[in-house]
Amino acid sequence: MADLEPTLLDIIKDHAVGLTEAPTRETDINDLGIDSFAVVEIIYEVEEKLGIEVPFNANENPLGDMKTVGDLIDGVKGLVEKGA
Amino acid sequence: MARRVVVTGLGAVASTGMNVPAFWEAATSGKSGIKSDTIVAGEDLKITAPMARIEGFDDVAADLGRDIARTDNFTKFAVVASDEAIEDAGLHFSDEMRTRTATIIGTGIGGQEAMNTAYIGMLTKGKRAHPLTILKTIPNAAASQLSIRHGLTGPAFAVSSACASGAHAIGVTAELIKSGAADIGVTGASEAVLTYGSLEAWKAMHILSSDQCRPFSKNRNGLVIGEGAGILVLEEYDHARARGAKVYAELVGFGMNADGKDMINPAVEGAAGAMSLALNGIDQPAASEIYINAHGTGTLMNDPTETKAIREVFGVGADDLIVSSTKSMHGHLLGAAGGVETIMAIKALETGIVPPTINFEEPDPECDLNITPNEAQERSLSLTLSNSFAFGGLNAVVAFARI
Repeated sequence: MADLEPTLLDIIKDHAVGLTEAPTRETDINDLGIDSFAVVEIIYEVEEKLGIEVPFNANENPLGDMKTVGDLIDGVKGLVEKGA
Repeated sequence: MARRVVVTGLGAVASTGMNVPAFWEAATSGKSGIKSDTIVAGEDLKITAPMARIEGFDDVAADLGRDIARTDNFTKFAVVASDEAIEDAGLHFSDEMRTRTATIIGTGIGGQEAMNTAYIGMLTKGKRAHPLTILKTIPNAAASQLSIRHGLTGPAFAVSSACASGAHAIGVTAELIKSGAADIGVTGASEAVLTYGSLEAWKAMHILSSDQCRPFSKNRNGLVIGEGAGILVLEEYDHARARGAKVYAELVGFGMNADGKDMINPAVEGAAGAMSLALNGIDQPAASEIYINAHGTGTLMNDPTETKAIREVFGVGADDLIVSSTKSMHGHLLGAAGGVETIMAIKALETGIVPPTINFEEPDPECDLNITPNEAQERSLSLTLSNSFAFGGLNAVVAFARI
């Protein structure tokens, strides 16, 4: 599978209403201004763009212990691989 | 000492105006929001019908913030109307007030655009539903989003009783305030069914007018669907007085019942019974000082049934009443009808101006009340009623008086 990272960063950027600059792996998740709605939307867009289904449960606090955008990218990557 | 409930804030969004001053100005000048329009949902999916659609709402909705941008129009209408009502009431919520504020919003059917979009995509293009489809559609979405927007943590839920949803929501909220379960209520109703699928379903029922809404007129031929929201801030009287709030009116009566008979055809006894319950215990003024904002849908069955019910309740005094159906202007907002129409009843009481029943063309001996034909009338009023009678035989009537 192609590297998801740029795609994910793009999708996250569209939802990061709290940011004035493009997010990087080091960006603090709290600075993104995303909420539970946005996480569901991000996963949906990943599914649409890649034509896959991500095994994700909206009730399992999706941001969990994540601190940075890098953690979020790795988390989504992990789900994508789990579903592949 | 019994707790009393007063109205301290009003908010409205309808085809005839996107705030209360515009809505009321249109009402008193007999301006219609109804016209023939076409809803397009795809190449072969379009429907043309008379409707009372809100034009220019997207510009207003654009300023509502990101949370609300991701909601169905029925929630957006409720948010715009409640922002206006809360500001009008001069409310600045403290944490204590938030726990004591109920958010009870009626709707006939919830987020139809969201559901239509999902189904049309699925069935015509094999597309998956957007993951927020359910959260946009659920009938409690408006109540939930309002509670989140203002941090209101008192009792909150949706009320659904078709065309009586708004009146039921307002009445139930008043009862909660009277009971002590809340001090403030953000209540009313919202509806947004001007979508391809919903209109086709309504059309199939053969109850829609082919051209115009003409309540109480002999040549009436059906209802015209509108969209929008009407929201009131209700408040316990001492609470309102303690913070120096402007008080529009006291909600002095609420009556509700069911016909227990038929899904489509209304019953005189049910409508009359609900009005009598709303008037129960009220020191009634002379009939000439009473205005009834009628349910007045412009269907063949409703208007004569409602006329008979009013005559049954008021007897010989019925000829002195002043009555009108403002649906002739803003259309039938279905679940939200009771929301915007109680505002008509409250504003009429406040200003002494009764908004007209427009499109009145031909007297009908079966609808022989003073229905304020075509032009507003001035009248000194002491008591105003808003009637709502739903498909399914569910009736709700609210009554307002000066305090």
